[in-house]
Amino acid sequence: MILLDYHNRIIEDTLKARFNPENKPKLVDMSIVDFDGVSYHISTLENQETKLLLSIRWKCWPELIQYGAESVLKREYSQWITQPEVGYDFSLLFDLENIGADPEDVIRKVSLLKRNAMAAPFERAFDAQALAEKEEQWDPTTSQLMTIHYREGESIFIQNQQDRVTVIFSTLFKEETDRIFGKVFLQEFVDARRKPHLQHAPQVIYSHREPPLEIRHLPGLEDSESMGYITFVLFPRHFVSGQVREETISRIQIFRDYLHYHIKCSKAYMHSRMRARVSDFLKVLNRAKPEHHAVEKKLASGRAFRRT
Amino acid sequence: MSNTLRPYLNAVRQTLTAAMCLENFSSQVAERHNKPEVEARASKEVLLNPLVISRNDKEKVLIETSVNSLRVSIAIKQADEIERILAHKFTRFLMQRAESFVILRRKPIEGYDISFLITNAHTEQMYKHKLVDFIIQFMEEVDKEISEMKLSLNARARIVSESYLSQFN
Amino acid sequence: MSELPVINEFGQGPITCHAFNKDRTELAVCFNTNVVHIFRKNGNSWDVQWTLVEHDKPVTSIDWAANSNRIVTCSQDRNAYVWTLDPQIQQWKPTLVLLRINRAATFVRWSPEEDKFAVASGARCISICYFEEDNDWWVGKHIKKPIRSTVLSLDWHPNNVLLAAGSADMKARVFSAFIKGVDKKPAPSPWGEKLPFGTLCGEFSNGTGGWIHSVGFSPDGDALAFTGHDSTLTVVYPGTGSIQSIRAPSLPYLSLLWLNSTQLVAGGHDCAPHLFEANGQQWAFAASLDQATKKVEVGQSARDTFRRMDSRGQSSGSNDTELATQHQNTINSIRAYEGTRDNVSKFSSSSIDGRLIIWSTANITKGIANLRI
Repeated sequence: MILLDYHNRIIEDTLKARFNPENKPKLVDMSIVDFDGVSYHISTLENQETKLLLSIRWKCWPELIQYGAESVLKREYSQWITQPEVGYDFSLLFDLENIGADPEDVIRKVSLLKRNAMAAPFERAFDAQALAEKEEQWDPTTSQLMTIHYREGESIFIQNQQDRVTVIFSTLFKEETDRIFGKVFLQEFVDARRKPHLQHAPQVIYSHREPPLEIRHLPGLEDSESMGYITFVLFPRHFVSGQVREETISRIQIFRDYLHYHIKCSKAYMHSRMRARVSDFLKVLNRAKPEHHAVEKKLASGRAFRRT
Repeated sequence: MSNTLRPYLNAVRQTLTAAMCLENFSSQVAERHNKPEVEARASKEVLLNPLVISRNDKEKVLIETSVNSLRVSIAIKQADEIERILAHKFTRFLMQRAESFVILRRKPIEGYDISFLITNAHTEQMYKHKLVDFIIQFMEEVDKEISEMKLSLNARARIVSESYLSQFN
Repeated sequence: MSELPVINEFGQGPITCHAFNKDRTELAVCFNTNVVHIFRKNGNSWDVQWTLVEHDKPVTSIDWAANSNRIVTCSQDRNAYVWTLDPQIQQWKPTLVLLRINRAATFVRWSPEEDKFAVASGARCISICYFEEDNDWWVGKHIKKPIRSTVLSLDWHPNNVLLAAGSADMKARVFSAFIKGVDKKPAPSPWGEKLPFGTLCGEFSNGTGGWIHSVGFSPDGDALAFTGHDSTLTVVYPGTGSIQSIRAPSLPYLSLLWLNSTQLVAGGHDCAPHLFEANGQQWAFAASLDQATKKVEVGQSARDTFRRMDSRGQSSGSNDTELATQHQNTINSIRAYEGTRDNVSKFSSSSIDGRLIIWSTANITKGIANLRI
């Protein structure tokens, strides 16, 4: 598996099972975690096994709301939105006897809940860029820099300009190995983009420690060896309304997890290689130990012969 | 094998063969003790002159010999940050398994990446020439392993980045 | 060639030292432990007859007095014992020797008359031990000066008074070990005339330096040979003042033995005994006595092959693992087996791989002659 899924697999599986009319309704109470510190809670209401409640909690939720998440969520989930469960940011309620739409469709949408919430700032930036482009005299001061602190110590910055939208990830490499591996990977991203067949992809800029110009003025940026910044420059062709736009939003969102997932895979691979190499070395060392031939003699009958 | 590697390894092999002439030697300093003199460093006359064999300023071997023990310390080639971290990870991985490697020292000598400590007990239980073979093979393969690991990391990074970016087409 | 080397393999670990009794029917061996095993010859094999357990650290040296049938052992536990066979119960009885040393004892040898023995030690001294009738025990007198490091080997001069010592301070020395009341005044020799106890009669180094692993007087006692860690063999003739160091074509020798006044063998880290020959007083390396032929591979079971694959990652093992020599590891002791001091006809060598090999010199001389032609 090289690419990661955008949707949450456990939500998908759970809902599939619950939405299937052949399965008898039963009590459900499960907590699920996702990338970026997101937690979900799926439960049935008390004494109502046909009422399924799904809640999400994410530390950057207020920021997402501020950048217009509400309208996106209303658009996607209007009929199921309910009062948020205590301790969570947002909840959906399903009546299993009357889902109210094509179950397949609902499942797909719900499993993309995290993605959709995060889509709001992207959509806002894309729309703002579209407006700016039409203006002849665009005032750069109207561009909005949106910051989403979606993980502990790591953020996404989105800024619209007249002809483009810039997305910047700040990412933290916890260990030195991660940092060095991360560097190798990110350098490859920069290099790969230069290849002729990948000219359509957004431009990727990587900087280590030094924040890019767009966000340098922001307060609270951590200055340490383990910080890295990745900038994607999106042009209108990357967010043509419709399928292209949706895909781009999903893809950019998953980038950080994709990167770290592969860094971890590489480390695991190195580990297994080293394990194999060490056992080879041990074999070489074993060759230094004299063998004690105890030549076992066999009798004609095939039994072992032992001198007593 | 490259042109400079062969004479380098040859020099190390010859030196090790000569250095591997160890005997049982009881401590002159502590009563009823028998310690590797190369570590104890208590009697000057039973220590031989340490020797450094260098291939270049980064790759070198330090061979310290005494009457009953010898210490071989290897500085592994580390051309860049990636090789440095890989060498570090690899040697640490090995040293955590020092128990099964018997002749591996748990900590390298300062300035080197990995050290072996061979005592007369080891040369009594094992063939000396095979111990030399082991160290030579180790030196050869450590370099190879690290450059292969580096290549595989780069290859993976390339595939990962290309698969990601090609989605935009 | 009439007689091939006889290989005795004990497979009980490294042999650190060995000694035969007079008629060579019994053999005392230490397998790098604190115990000495005495084997008795039984056809072609050796059966354990006694085990001498008294030391509590590895035994470093054994010597068997041929005529008085006494064994002396010494060990890293700082002690030496003289063992005598009680004829009634047929058991070896130990007597502790008052060595008065506080470091490991490294080497022991009976004097030719068997009335004294010398113990080398890590206490930078040699203890010359003799029997004190009055107190009924063995006491030691120390030779200290000018020894500056562990004494590694000893050899007695045939006159029972002079003693050669090789030590880790890179010097070979000759001392007088004259004990009043035990020894008669020795005849004058190139080593000196007046010889009170502890006199230093000669001090030699092999030029480049290196621990002196073994020393040996020539059969007539007028020359001294010693080997050093710098892979040299040095022969000294005090009469003429000639000192000759020969660079060996191999790793250092740990033990040497004069076969007669013009031939000597030395063995060590190279695992093969090497022969040196003299032309007058000029010595030169002659040949290796081990012709180093590859041994025939023993048939292997499939199980062995698989096991080897698993533990060593190679299918056919022994070929490249084993050395071509008879000894598979360092030879640490070479001793006369048969013949007299001035004409050794057979000698034994023991090594760290647990083998004890008896070589015939008649065989060697012939073999060398063949090689020459």
